[in-house]
Amino acid sequence: MAVSSNAIAGARFVDPTVLSRIGNLELLARNIVDGFINGLHRAPFFGASIDFAEHRGYVAGDDIRRVDWRLYARTDRYYVKQYEADTNTNFTVLFDISRSMSFSSGGVTKLEYGSYLAACLAYLAQRQRDRVGIITFDNEIVTHVPPSAKHFNMVLHTLDRAKAERPGKLSTPLHRMAEHFKRRGILLLISDFYDEPAEIFDAIKPLAFLGNDIIVFHVLDPQEIDFDYDNASSFEDLESREQVPVVPDAFRTQYRALVQAHINTLQQKFSEQRIDYALLNTTEPLDRALFSYLSSRERLMRVR
Amino acid sequence: MSFLAPLFFAGLAAIAVPILVHLIQRERKRVIEFPSLMFVQKIPYQSVRRRRIRHWPLLLMRALAIALIVAAFARPFLRQGAAAIAAAGGSREVVILLDQSASMGYDDHFTRAKDAARSVIGSLGAGDRATLVLFGRNAEESMRATADRGRLEAALDTATLTAGATRYGPALKLAESILTQSQAPRREAVLISDFQRSGWSGAEDVHFGEQIRLIPMSVAGPSVTNLAVPSVTFTRGQFSGQERITVTAGVSNKGNEPATGVPVSLEIDGHAIETVQATVGANASTSVSFAPFTLAGPTMRGLVTAGGDPFPADNSFHFVVTPDRPVSVLVVDGGDRVDTSFYLVKALGIGTAPAFQVETMPVGRVSPAALQNRSVVILNDTMLPPGLAGGALKTFVEQGGGLLVVAADKATWPQNDDLLPARLGAPVDRLSGRGGAIGYLDYSHPAFEVFKAPRSGDFSAAHVLRYRTLEVGPTDRVLARFDDGVTAAAERRVGNGRVIVFGTSLDDSWSDLALKPVYLPLVHQLTKYLARYEPPASWQTVGQVVDLSVLLKGRAERVVVSPSAVRVTVPASEPGLVELSEQGVYEIRPAGSTSAAPADRIAVNLDPAESDLAPMDPPELVAAVTGRAADVTPQAAAAADVSIEDVEKQQGLWWYLLFGGLLLMAAEMLVSNRLSRQERFL
Repeated sequence: MAVSSNAIAGARFVDPTVLSRIGNLELLARNIVDGFINGLHRAPFFGASIDFAEHRGYVAGDDIRRVDWRLYARTDRYYVKQYEADTNTNFTVLFDISRSMSFSSGGVTKLEYGSYLAACLAYLAQRQRDRVGIITFDNEIVTHVPPSAKHFNMVLHTLDRAKAERPGKLSTPLHRMAEHFKRRGILLLISDFYDEPAEIFDAIKPLAFLGNDIIVFHVLDPQEIDFDYDNASSFEDLESREQVPVVPDAFRTQYRALVQAHINTLQQKFSEQRIDYALLNTTEPLDRALFSYLSSRERLMRVR
Repeated sequence: MSFLAPLFFAGLAAIAVPILVHLIQRERKRVIEFPSLMFVQKIPYQSVRRRRIRHWPLLLMRALAIALIVAAFARPFLRQGAAAIAAAGGSREVVILLDQSASMGYDDHFTRAKDAARSVIGSLGAGDRATLVLFGRNAEESMRATADRGRLEAALDTATLTAGATRYGPALKLAESILTQSQAPRREAVLISDFQRSGWSGAEDVHFGEQIRLIPMSVAGPSVTNLAVPSVTFTRGQFSGQERITVTAGVSNKGNEPATGVPVSLEIDGHAIETVQATVGANASTSVSFAPFTLAGPTMRGLVTAGGDPFPADNSFHFVVTPDRPVSVLVVDGGDRVDTSFYLVKALGIGTAPAFQVETMPVGRVSPAALQNRSVVILNDTMLPPGLAGGALKTFVEQGGGLLVVAADKATWPQNDDLLPARLGAPVDRLSGRGGAIGYLDYSHPAFEVFKAPRSGDFSAAHVLRYRTLEVGPTDRVLARFDDGVTAAAERRVGNGRVIVFGTSLDDSWSDLALKPVYLPLVHQLTKYLARYEPPASWQTVGQVVDLSVLLKGRAERVVVSPSAVRVTVPASEPGLVELSEQGVYEIRPAGSTSAAPADRIAVNLDPAESDLAPMDPPELVAAVTGRAADVTPQAAAAADVSIEDVEKQQGLWWYLLFGGLLLMAAEMLVSNRLSRQERFL
């Protein structure tokens, strides 16, 4: 059992390979998230859906019931109490199940890793009474579970049944989703992003423009980053089935540079769009992903 | 550098195979699935391909091996070498050895052999010369080294079968001498024969040099059937005072199939006597006896024939039968005792082959007339006949008669007479112990030759109690000695005749030799030798040379008629050597004779070895003669000019290339095995 050295004390997150042996996603998500939260000592900014946000001066037209009379008594001025937005937001997982997600260099596949991640985050969201839903897609939408407070089990079921079988393309399904989302919410996009950065942004932009909070998880296998192969072989593209002779020794440096450039571009462009981006390695425990999610939520709340 | 089969260079395309293996094929053996080749494809492909060839030496070895093997198949040769060979090796010296022995008469062997010889003549180039050698028992040049095909073919057309035996030795020696003297760069002997195994003993001292090639051309068939009559035997008998002869013929079957109902017939003087049906098993012999016939004339010729087959020459057997001629012996003794010559006469009376016609006479009654028609005179312990008879005896010896002088008690000889080979000395007594014995015999002498073999006559068993000393002259030959070294017998040649003196008695008075088993053959041998007796030969073999003067005991002008009716006159001044080269009966008549009956006849038959047609393996003969395996086919040898194929063959460069290619392949295997051990994937 591998333990992440960076994990917060008490949050004993098991290796994803070990997690893969747990058949029940709900049990898995609960184990991970509960352990995580216990270790986190319940952060104060968490779960305050009806919490007070700030005071502002009364202006004509404000609801008189929101005037803070106690403050008026102390200061003799009219202040209105502002609260956080609606507590029950839509939490939708956009899960890429294109065939490239089925790749694994030995441990769990990217699809499995993404499933665990999605299950954990859906569980978190469900615990704070968000409506959870999921959309799986490859080059088109495969499954659509609309966000609902009762749909957590369906989400888990969908994740469990997901199979990476077809080639994928971000733009088509995301554009269709953009037409579909009428209400703002949190969108959790899990993909390996094998597309040109420009195309990726073109696909995501419509969602961002709708005012959704988008969190992007870029899931990659370590071999996709390191390209640590020994022998010259024919490499076959999982999606296009095209084969290319490759001598890894000769390729490695250039390949790593290209992948790093891709990641950097994505990081940069996402941050420009205020989209939270996290690169996840399938060998890493899930705590980093969860931490990344929660920090982004915190940041979002602060910005607001 | 040129190539005989340049089309094979298309095979160089095979070099692409190792290159492809290095570049593509082997990488494709393992396919690795990868999520997306988006980034891989952005890397320039050309640079990848170039860099993928990581084992240049291995690739070069593989490509070079293929190139060498392809070049070997293209059969390269050097033009320069071809020119040199064409200039220096264009002309050939060919010796055609054509077998004309009797065995070539089997079926169409001789016709085929002549056809083969004709094809060799036809293959001669402009600068080539050929010699036609016909051989059987001996070899003779029929046409000496000529480039004229017409003359060669004419000589070939006149070649006929002979009745001679087969002997390869003389023919090959002749070929060797002709080819050794030749200056031509290419020297070949073409041996056309049925390759009878009996013709090669293996002991012939024939060895061709390095430059001389022997090309065998066999006309032998795969299987043979051959009946032969190799010999006959005679059994003589007397009937009503006439001599009757029973002929028994041997019949052999050299084939692999038994012969049944073979008619074997006997002819005497052209008259059919009897025909007997015989059965001869495969590779077996049998004998056939005919009814006896009466010997009517001085010489009668006979013929035995057996069946018919593709080789008729050995199916008949010729012979001549003559009446038995006894050896006439005159025994002269002192006449004072009745039994002086008892043992001698009894011993001579026992002989049948030859029979001895013995007459005993006291020395006092010997006259010149008594010596007429005698072969041998024996002076048994007596003196030289007195008077004219003494001179007649001397003349008798000089004309070829034989004289045996038994020197015992009463033998005396004139001092001045040189007829006797030794001077008679005083008697010597050997009474002590067991007496004396004959201790030494000259076994090289014809008379004693039969005693040479072990247990063929024990002379030492005889006790000699007394003997006369003999003083032998320097020119005389000592035939026997007593155990004390005294001469026991000596010989002298006088004119055409022979004289032997024996130092002790031939009765039981001085020794017991007459009572010993060796006595009878001793007397017979001495008498036959002195009579110059030769058993009558009923037949001779082809190739033998007979001396008519010996055969007919005298010189005269004679005419010899061969079986093919060729007449040869032999003058009296010559010894009369006749080579018997034909099968059949030779007739010898006195010159000018008008008598129908010939004086003498000689039957001549094939050498029995010719009947054995079992062939030997021609390469075996070639290997024995040249010391190397037969490497030349007749077709290749028949090529008229030095073709580029020949040049290429002689240079044999392809062999080296092929060897090099295979060597590289082996090295490649080693290197690649080593590399593959270092890394799992090349």
